[in-house]
Amino acid sequence: MLKLMKYEFRKTMFSKMVLLVITALAEISYLIGVFFELDKFLAVGLVGLVMCAMIGIFYIGIDSLIVFHRDLNTKQSYMLFLTPKNSYQVLGAKVLENGVSIFLAGVFFAALAAIDTTIGVLHIGGIKEFLDMLDRFMISIRVDINVAPQDILMPFFAVLASWLMTVVTGYLAILLSATVLAGKKFSGFVSFIIFLVLGYISGKALDMLPSLSNHTAEFCMIIGASIVIVAIMYAVTGWIMERKLSV
Amino acid sequence: MLECRYITKVYGRKTAVDHVSLKIEPGRIYAMLGPNGSGKTTLMKMAVGLVKPNSGGFYYKDQPVGTESRKEVAYMSTEPYFYSWMTIQDVGKYYEDFFEDFSMEKYNQLLERMELTPDMKTKSLSSGMMAKLKIAVTMARQAKVYLLDEPLNGIDLLARDQIISSILDAVGPEVALVISSHLVDELEKIVDTAIFMKDSQLVEVCEAEELRMLQGKSIVDKYREIYGHGGEE
Repeated sequence: MLKLMKYEFRKTMFSKMVLLVITALAEISYLIGVFFELDKFLAVGLVGLVMCAMIGIFYIGIDSLIVFHRDLNTKQSYMLFLTPKNSYQVLGAKVLENGVSIFLAGVFFAALAAIDTTIGVLHIGGIKEFLDMLDRFMISIRVDINVAPQDILMPFFAVLASWLMTVVTGYLAILLSATVLAGKKFSGFVSFIIFLVLGYISGKALDMLPSLSNHTAEFCMIIGASIVIVAIMYAVTGWIMERKLSV
Repeated sequence: MLECRYITKVYGRKTAVDHVSLKIEPGRIYAMLGPNGSGKTTLMKMAVGLVKPNSGGFYYKDQPVGTESRKEVAYMSTEPYFYSWMTIQDVGKYYEDFFEDFSMEKYNQLLERMELTPDMKTKSLSSGMMAKLKIAVTMARQAKVYLLDEPLNGIDLLARDQIISSILDAVGPEVALVISSHLVDELEKIVDTAIFMKDSQLVEVCEAEELRMLQGKSIVDKYREIYGHGGEE
């Protein structure tokens, strides 16, 4: 399984490198903004880092879907399906690699935000001054930053978990178009509709979770439920793959 | 050893393989012959589980083919299938990672014999070089069954002997070789058994020696007899 994951990572390494390079450029801009108190660089850096975090994590999932589609629909599929690994292992490696990548990207961007905040506080001379400076910038783009860290982090990780759920739903839809819908008219369109329907059902299932007074506990519950849905989607996808997939 | 029983594969309205039953025994070299679209490739792909049959099944040592059989059955596809980012060395490492019977030493020897260098990118290889690489990486496994789909495709006349000798190195009493090819006369010299396929069906399985001794015919003669006009339909 680890070997399969290694090659899954290798397949998506280029896009992750691109994301890292863009993040590094945004970080440099942010640091120039902080150290030389240049608002324009600070703004570009901050916006760049936020965009990298949001779009980057989103793209890691999309890239995984593109790779999965290629692995099922091109001759490269032989590289995977000629190995003495079953469909559950092949798919498991993809889900785990993508889950770990999304999670690590989330942790990386959260850690980067914490480090950047600390650098800002230390350089500007106090948390109040730094927050005032950040607040001025946020007001200029109409964002309120008066929130506790856990109120940002828990929803952030809940979003990561539900994004992984969406990606695994995408795996199932792509697999359906390559198996039971293969050779049929509008198979791509039908599988997209199935993806939307499954996404809607998963969303509804999460909506049915009870509201808790403790928001942290509530987000933990959402993360747990998302992981359960990921496991169900994985089992169904693996089952179809093992029995129906011809490459 | 490797056997299919009443196996059928249908793609939409086209039947690619139609109720074929066949046994592959160790210590023999088989030529799978037939024109394009006769079902040779689909049959080989079903033997390694790449294609799922609609009915019937493929069995290796009496078990349905799948994860376990792929440890001992090596398949070489006619199409290139390596990841585009790979170098020739990466291809070897990939096989070493997944196949216990893969020998990196043998792979390097075969690369040298085929005049391929490990740092070459697979996406920049010519069709002849790609054919050599596919042979090298497949024959560097010490498999029990080798299924080679058109191994001589894209190979020039001079390199063919090199390829054939690399393939024959694997022959042993416990090893079965199945080679599909259009180049019937090239295979005539080396095969024990010829499997003739036509219109998705198995037409005949002939022992080369028996054919020569009892009917006074070569495999090429038999090929002409079955397909007519001396070869391709």
